[in-house]
Amino acid sequence: MSDPVAATVAAPHEGTEATPEPRELFGLLVEFKHEDDLLAACRRVRDAGFSKWDAHSPYPVHGIDAAIGIRPTILPWIVFAGGFAGMLGGLLLQWWTNTVDYAWVVSGKPYFSLPANIPIIFEMTILFAAFGAVFGMLALNGLPKLYHAAFHSRRFRRVTDDRFFICIEAADPRFREAETRALLESLAGDAVERIEERGHTDPPKLIMHVGLVAACLALLPLALAARAWYSKSTLPRIHPILNMDQQEKFKAQRAHPLFADGRAMRPPVEGTVARADLHLLGEDDHYYYGKIDGEWATTLPQRLRADVPGLLERGRERFAIFCAPCHGMDGSGNGPVRLRSDELGMPLVVKAMHEDAVRERQLGHLFNIISNGINTMPPYGDQVPVRDRWAIVSYVRALQRSQLATTADLSEEQRAERQRRRSGND
Amino acid sequence: MTHAPVIDIKNERRHVDDLTPALARRAGFTGVLVLVVGAILGYVFGADHFAEQFLRSYLASYCFFLSLALGGLFFVLLQHLTYAGWSVVVRRLAEVVACAMPLMAILALPIVMAVLLGWKYPFSWANADVVAHDALIQKKQAYLNAPFFLLRTIIYFAVWIRLASYFHAKSVEQDTTGDVELTRRMAKVSAPGMLLFAVTITLFSFDYIMSLDPHWFSTIFGVYFFAGSAVGIFAVLIIMAYLLQREGRLENVITTEHYHDVGKFMFAFIVFWAYIAFSQYMLIWYANIPEETEWYHVRQTGGWERVSLALLFGHFFIPFLALISRHPKRRKNWLVAGAVWILLMHWIDIYWLTIPAAHDGAEPHASLHLLDATCLIGLGGLFVWSVAGRLAHQSLIPERDPRLAESLAFENQ
Repeated sequence: MSDPVAATVAAPHEGTEATPEPRELFGLLVEFKHEDDLLAACRRVRDAGFSKWDAHSPYPVHGIDAAIGIRPTILPWIVFAGGFAGMLGGLLLQWWTNTVDYAWVVSGKPYFSLPANIPIIFEMTILFAAFGAVFGMLALNGLPKLYHAAFHSRRFRRVTDDRFFICIEAADPRFREAETRALLESLAGDAVERIEERGHTDPPKLIMHVGLVAACLALLPLALAARAWYSKSTLPRIHPILNMDQQEKFKAQRAHPLFADGRAMRPPVEGTVARADLHLLGEDDHYYYGKIDGEWATTLPQRLRADVPGLLERGRERFAIFCAPCHGMDGSGNGPVRLRSDELGMPLVVKAMHEDAVRERQLGHLFNIISNGINTMPPYGDQVPVRDRWAIVSYVRALQRSQLATTADLSEEQRAERQRRRSGND
Repeated sequence: MTHAPVIDIKNERRHVDDLTPALARRAGFTGVLVLVVGAILGYVFGADHFAEQFLRSYLASYCFFLSLALGGLFFVLLQHLTYAGWSVVVRRLAEVVACAMPLMAILALPIVMAVLLGWKYPFSWANADVVAHDALIQKKQAYLNAPFFLLRTIIYFAVWIRLASYFHAKSVEQDTTGDVELTRRMAKVSAPGMLLFAVTITLFSFDYIMSLDPHWFSTIFGVYFFAGSAVGIFAVLIIMAYLLQREGRLENVITTEHYHDVGKFMFAFIVFWAYIAFSQYMLIWYANIPEETEWYHVRQTGGWERVSLALLFGHFFIPFLALISRHPKRRKNWLVAGAVWILLMHWIDIYWLTIPAAHDGAEPHASLHLLDATCLIGLGGLFVWSVAGRLAHQSLIPERDPRLAESLAFENQ
């Protein structure tokens, strides 16, 4: 293949010194100064029945499609197919990952719930429709096109500026040089020009070799990735973004040169205790651990006894937030999490507050269970402050008591009322 | 630039003085008659619940027709804001639809009166007893109170009437003077006009529709109402152009190209409506917080779930697939059928927004009431009276708009 720029420079106008190889006729080119002339000429050429020809202009010309006789494009169908494929792909991808590959309950919703998937489906639809539009357009137009025989013409350069051209190719079945030239000359254009090009030649050897090497090199990253994927390494991982992975900060259990003893973690100041560590003082194990002299406490800590109704009210509220999801509002063990787990076929074991085993536990023991968890129940010590844990424990006692009421618990009036109703029923 | 045959508008029939005055009289008379007869029938048979049911039905139809007038105003503002050339031949129609605004201001009176009188319906927050037992509404009293509601209503209509009459009057003035300066001035006014429009339509939808359920809130609600209004006006423009051409007006002026473009707009805003509707739905569905989900809960029970599904398919999927290709948009009969369908769906949308929310306590059931129909026909008659009456005594197109030639020669590539 010859260099098109060099070929243009050596175009027929410049002189015809030595074209060693035989040249083939590519087609006939005719130039126009005005858009309207181009449109009129296009209609003539179209009506003459040519099929391998094209019009060239510096900008899109209104009505040129009809003048050339271009049939409606199938691009919309490609875009539609792309969008449809994207939609289906997005749907299947999410269905498969959410239900087959990695089934995971998110906020109590079904594995496959369409509303959550719509945004991804939407984006995938748009993306693939856009791919269809761009790549479909390029493919239908035969782009990118780096070489065109008309580049050999010097005057054709003005097609990017202020001239319009029609080029009829010699490969057209209706092309007869003399007749076609006569047709073109009858149009309102300027001189008709023969476009010649060298016949088909193999690309230069150098380009072939460079291309081969580049193709081989292009496989290297893939090969490296494949090796990394299928092999194990004992080396520490590579940190591509150093300032994020290795920050200049104090980390627990590490050395740090800033301090004399070289430790990043600082011990508390001599003779002080952090507020969060008050329990370590051992001054009120009853309050912090639910223990008195190593035994589970059976009473409320002294400091909470001032406002027991307030404590119970607080306990009722906290219980509804932290405990009721599993244990149920009434402590019977039928909370929504438990019900949902039954529904999903993987039942949780949830204790009812009213079982004897739970009722007989000491107050301090119950406190400890909330703090540290038991069996499958996780610890809540980090989420619920000490005072609230006692409030919940107190409320649990109230819940347990509520299921064991006797007539002795009723007031005088209530008892009288009950008596009256009974006799009424008899 | 173009090679379409030049159309001389002098040869076109571009006035409807012989038709619309009679149509306006008939429509207005029918509207008032149906409204009154419906009210009497409702009063006789509904007795206790008459006022409540009447106001609910009235509000639904009122919001529907107001949304069309607002859509007309939006269309006019948008064309001036973007210096649009293609739309000149249909702009006068939108200007006239927007000019229904004074009528809509008067028709707001029953609703405003109910609020001022402190009735429990249509807005429960207007009633002192309701507020006394409702901590949430008490907190919202700074905004949801009768005097402020009245003040806001006055501001909305002051803005809308001013904008609508400004653009209509200047456009008609240009018909005689041909002054290009008017076009420049309208473009300048359209920018702040669009901002005012955005704020007022948002707050209007909060006040007149969202506050029907005073506990519930959705920040995207105004956009949702706006999207529906835009869909509505494009459908109305298509139907109006079709009806005028059937009467032999503007036969060569409004071409397939214009139908195609309005159709594209309608299609785009159907998608936009669905996008906004889903955006609102998904966040509420995902978060699953009772204070937000209650609004959808009432629309998924008691028969309303069928209406919701009808909207999903009728307002989005079916028209989306039916209008996505260029061919139905370029076939006048198909496009008009689509526009009628869309207008119906828009009414169902507004009905779905307003009616379920208006029931306090009991779970609402989806059933069409006689008053729903009479209010729709009644207000519709008055709306047609306003639009048809305005169409007379002026050209159907902005005759000397500097971009008229561009619009006449417009082609879709």
